[in-house]
Order: sequence, then C-alpha cells, then structure tokens
Amino acid sequence: MSSTIIIIVNIVIAVLLAVGLTPLFVWWERRVSGLMQDRSGPNRCNIGPFRLGGLIQSFADMLKLVFKEDFTPSHIRYKFFFTVAPVIVFLCSFLTFAVIPFADVLVIDGKENIMQAIPNQLGIMWFIAFAGLSVYGIILGGYSSGNKYGLLGSIRASAQVISYEAAMGLAIISMIISYGSIHLTDMVNAQSGTYLGFIPMWGIFVQPLAAIIFIVCSFAETNRAPFDLAEGESELVAGYHTEYSAMKFGLFQVGEYAAMSASSALIVTLFFGGYQIPWLDTQAIQSNINYVILAIIIILPLKIFFFTRWMKKNNKAIGENKSREKETKILTVAFWSICFVLIALLISFLITGLGTNGVNITTAVIQVGTFLIKFFMMAFVYIWVRWTVLRFRYDQLQMLGWKVLIPLALLNIVVTAIIVVVGK
Amino acid sequence: MAIKVVPRYGKSFKDKLYLPAIAGGMKTTFKHFIKNLSDIDNLKTMQYPEVQPTDLNERYRGVHRLTKFDDGTEKCVACYMCATACPAECIFIEAEERFDEHNEKRPKEFKIDLLECVFCGYCVEACPCDAIRMDTGIFSFTGSKREDFVLDKKALMANERAKDLK
Repeated sequence: MSSTIIIIVNIVIAVLLAVGLTPLFVWWERRVSGLMQDRSGPNRCNIGPFRLGGLIQSFADMLKLVFKEDFTPSHIRYKFFFTVAPVIVFLCSFLTFAVIPFADVLVIDGKENIMQAIPNQLGIMWFIAFAGLSVYGIILGGYSSGNKYGLLGSIRASAQVISYEAAMGLAIISMIISYGSIHLTDMVNAQSGTYLGFIPMWGIFVQPLAAIIFIVCSFAETNRAPFDLAEGESELVAGYHTEYSAMKFGLFQVGEYAAMSASSALIVTLFFGGYQIPWLDTQAIQSNINYVILAIIIILPLKIFFFTRWMKKNNKAIGENKSREKETKILTVAFWSICFVLIALLISFLITGLGTNGVNITTAVIQVGTFLIKFFMMAFVYIWVRWTVLRFRYDQLQMLGWKVLIPLALLNIVVTAIIVVVGK
Repeated sequence: MAIKVVPRYGKSFKDKLYLPAIAGGMKTTFKHFIKNLSDIDNLKTMQYPEVQPTDLNERYRGVHRLTKFDDGTEKCVACYMCATACPAECIFIEAEERFDEHNEKRPKEFKIDLLECVFCGYCVEACPCDAIRMDTGIFSFTGSKREDFVLDKKALMANERAKDLK
C-alpha cells in the first residue's frame, strides 16, 4: 500500500516538474529577461486582484494555444509525420524525467522504495536514450513541413545533435568511471560527504572539466540559446516549427521547457549533489532530525518575513488603481498562514516525536525540497544564460563540438581512468 | 596623423576559452537583474497608461489642431497650401466665402484622415497663416471605427495646445 502511494507521489512530482512547470518557466523567462534588460516584462494580466507578478499571463497564453484553430497547411504531404513530430519531442523530453531521483531510497516498514517516477535500473542510460531521441521529433517536424526554413532548421538540429551527443556521452562516461555506477541514486549518494573537511564532494568539484562539457552540451541538447540554431529566428523565421500552430506548436514549446527541466535536473543530480544537503548526508539528517526541524522552524518565518517585505515594497499601486496593494495584503496573509500551519505541524512533530517511518518520510520531504531548490537555481541559470550569451554561428558551433569538446572529453576519460586505476 | 594601433581580440588563450567572457557577460546581466528585482523603481520603463510621458517638447508632432483668433473663429483661409503639400493626401478642404473683418475666405469643412496621415508636419510648414499646428501632444489617437479617424473642422478646432509644452 505504502509503496503504491510512493510511486504515485513520485509520478506526480515528475509530471509536475516536467510539464506542469512550463507556465512557470515561461513566466520566469519573460520576467527575468525583462529585469535583466531594465524593463518590467508582462505584469498586467489578472484574475480579480491576483496577478502573481504576471504568472497569470502564461496561463492565459496556454489557454489561447489550446483554443486556437489547429491548422495544417494544404501543401503538407505526410500529415502523419507532421502530427506525430511534436508528440515525439514532447514525449521524449517528458520521459527523460522518469529516472531522476528526488530523494534517497525511502525505507518504509523495512521495504525500500526508489524515489524515481519509473523505478528501473537503467539510470543515466535512459536519459541518454530519450534525450537523443527527442531530436527525431525536430527533424521529422522540419522535414514534413515542406518548408525550406523548416528543413534548414531540422538539418541544423541533426548536425548539432551528432556533434554534441558524442561529447555529452563521453563526459557522462568519465562520471560513470569516477562513481562506478550508472544508477543516479548511487551517483548522488557518492556525492555526500566532503573532502578537505569543507568542500562538498559534488561532481563539479570532482570532475570540473566533465561538468563544463556536460553543461555546455546540455544547453545544445535542449536547443536553447546560445545553441538555438535550429529555430534561429533571425535567419530561419522560426526554424523547424515555422508551419506549426495552436497546440502542435504548444507541444514543441512544452517539449523545450520539459527538456530544460530534465537537463537541469540531471545537471543537479550529476554535478551538484542532487538531493544531498551540503555537509549533511541522509544518515546525519536521520540521526539529527530534531535539530533539522528546529532549523527549519527558525529559517522559515525569516524567509517569509523578508519575502513579504520585498513584496510590500515592490508590488505597489500605480496611479489610481489600488488592486496591487490589495493583492499584496491577501498574499501576505496567505503566506503567513501557510508558514504558521507548517510551524505548528513541525512543533507537533518535535513534541510527539517521530517514529522510524516518520523520520524517513520527513528526511525524504526535506531532500525533495533541497532537490527542488537546486533544480530551480539551475533552471534560472538556463534562463540567465539565454538572455546573456549571443547565438553561436553555425560553423562556430560545429567547431566547438568536434574540435574542442570531444578531444577534451576524451582526455578527461583517460585522465580519470588513470587516476581511478592508480588510486586503487 | 599618428597611426592608431587597434588591438585585435580573440587570439589570446583567454579569449579562446570563451568562458571568462561569458562569465563577465553573465555578471553584468545578473547585476541588472538584482538591481531591478530589489527595487522595481530602478526600471527604465514607465507603467504607461497610468504614468504618462512628460518629456514632450515643442518639436513633437502630435494630432493636428486649427488655430483660432481671439474671438474663437478659425485663422484658416482655405488656401489649399497644406492639402497641396501633404504627401499622404489626407487633407480635404471645402472652401466658402467669409463675411467678417478677418478674412474673405474660410473652410466650410476641413477634414484630416489620421489613418492616411504620416505626421510629417509639411502642412504646418506650408501654412502661410499659422492656421494649422501639431502641438497638441496627442500621441495615441484611438477609435473603434475607420470613420472615427477622420477629424472634421469641429474636432480640429476643439484640440488645444498641450499644457505640458513649455
């Protein structure tokens, strides 16, 4: 019974992170780019007094895409491929999320549950398989569009993939050599602890070169700037999705953000300690659960206090319209009541004490929270890079892939292998 | 003239690494992000419909107006100079005889189609009587029908000089 609930919870988390976050990421993309360019970004769309800082706008956009006419141009000969292409992109990006561990193995009544959406043994191989497959959707979409821009976009996408997949795979191989496992849970557990007493033993400190190569390649993998040549709107109109409209286009969009989520989750898992809190491994949390809960009770109100103060300062009325101040008041009350409910819950845990299962579940929840914080920070880095770095020229991209990243990755494998063999 | 040696970038090892330059760019964008996130007043844009621009000056070409004598009658003598100068051909004048002390001729009807108008200001330049001006400061003229955009003499004479202009 408990394992069924855990599987359902895991699947819900994976679906939420992969697909449900698309409106949030669209909102982030718009607002972050706005703030980086000294403008405000969309902030008007509202339901009653609620704007949520412009988040409603992305839901409105989503509704618009769903209800638009699903138009297929008459010159398209292979309607099946044309229809199935966005589905492939979406499905592959979505499925890559299935192997990301959200927390350490959860032991309930002596039964071990892997905290993954699909608890299989494939680990990182699953990610490589589906991440590589998603480009078929792009190629198929561009090819079946019967449009020269679409075709050029898909050719670029395929050339990009063959030059980046290799370097990415090689970077992953060096990680596998140093962790000695393909299971992501094992990899994350290998990143607990510290060396020299204070540096957390994260992948980025163990394998900095592999980390850089992998991060660069996953930017190329997700087709985002600075490697978004496949849709390069300045020269190719919109690239592979030029002929798409309505929800078919929306699926490409969701697929892009799902790929972004999956890559940032994998980067966090491989190189930033996954669900591990730095300097606190699972054992340490479980044995000191009371102190961890106490720390959360102290930190949570502080966070809420600073957040509500920031909101009061920045979400103020413009001109005659007082709805923003009303929204601030409502949201402040909402956040504080959530905060007090959580604190009351945690205090009751402290007073009554938790059983073994309770300790394990609390640890898992804390680890999922840690994973989410790291995940969102990595997603922010994706957006941040997109609005900073210019798009690479096509030959520069190939040059970087074949002449720089692949030799570096090979060198890294050799060095890692020598160190592992000699070190043992 | 001394020869100025322009340094060429991109050949050194640091430039070829790309990453330091990317890190520098990311630092810049992050600074802007933090500055604007911590205080929304740092934004360079204004919240438009609520906050109106205040930096309109004498040279700004807004919607036209017909100037008036002190007794409220039009200065225009229907000489067709503006309509002739107009490159968009959006001014339509119908003349009639005038019987007061000011002039001998006046427009019976004076229409400007703002959908055709390119706001070039040639009509203002061409007018010999200073009868048409574009200093109303109206920069967003809206309407729900095409007909709403054809301003007649009454509307043009109702427009006044913008108060913001010094």
